[in-house]
Amino acid sequence: MELATWPRSTFSVFDELESLHEGLSRMFSEPDLSRVSDSFPHLNVWLSSDGLIIDAELPGVDPKDVDVSLVGDELILRGKVNVQEPRSGETFYQRERPSGEFSRTLQLPFRAEAGMAKASYKNGVLRLTVPRSEQEKPRKIAIEAS
Amino acid sequence: MQTVQTPPAGTQVTSPKPEPALKKILSPSGIFLPDVDICESSDQIRLLADMPGVDQNSVEVTVENNVLTIGGPAYVDCPAGYDLVGQEYRVGRYRREFSFPDAVDTGRIKARVRHGVLEVTIPKREEMKSRKIRIET
Repeated sequence: MELATWPRSTFSVFDELESLHEGLSRMFSEPDLSRVSDSFPHLNVWLSSDGLIIDAELPGVDPKDVDVSLVGDELILRGKVNVQEPRSGETFYQRERPSGEFSRTLQLPFRAEAGMAKASYKNGVLRLTVPRSEQEKPRKIAIEAS
Repeated sequence: MQTVQTPPAGTQVTSPKPEPALKKILSPSGIFLPDVDICESSDQIRLLADMPGVDQNSVEVTVENNVLTIGGPAYVDCPAGYDLVGQEYRVGRYRREFSFPDAVDTGRIKARVRHGVLEVTIPKREEMKSRKIRIET
């Protein structure tokens, strides 16, 4: 029979320097709101006459685990984050990063040209480029002089 | 202190209704706390910090007097010719500090960044690793 002994309270002193904590929440919403919530992932959105560019903060995801679909004027972002942690033999000492499945639906302000939409993933940020359909692009109308 | 509640793995988190137009908020830069997980095993500690927008070249990891400091500037590529119409997160610098016990070997700390997540591996000192004790029968 074997008995495992642990150096007890080794990491009880692995404490954060509290002074840095105050007033540094990145989120605009209530500070107690989980980051895996109705508004996960957080988005930044840019608009032009060409269409939308959407950045989604998704650090650590496997791009294979994210599904983006475009139906009419709705964009649906689904996936899972951090479901592989912790590794076997590990226990969480502290856990703040979101984990689980997410789904978010965005109503676009126009009908999209779905075949031309693009997605790229860099440094934990997913960027979606969603062009307007040709029919919805603003057009200049020439005024005929009489 | 910022408290973040994380649902257990596999929890379905959905927003069933389409969201209305996003609220526009101005973008001040600032210093932000990354969300951090700390995993412990018998021979090491792994610290995982969500720092989207930071890459291997811009990340900053230092150890001094048993204090680990992680951080770095996040980069955002603002598309030319587009207007920001919805902002749910700000972009600036990350920074967070942790104090260490003497039980870790600061000389053998390793760090890497992948997909916007900083992973710092901190080995425990040999004498502090968990041991199995054989019980004689």
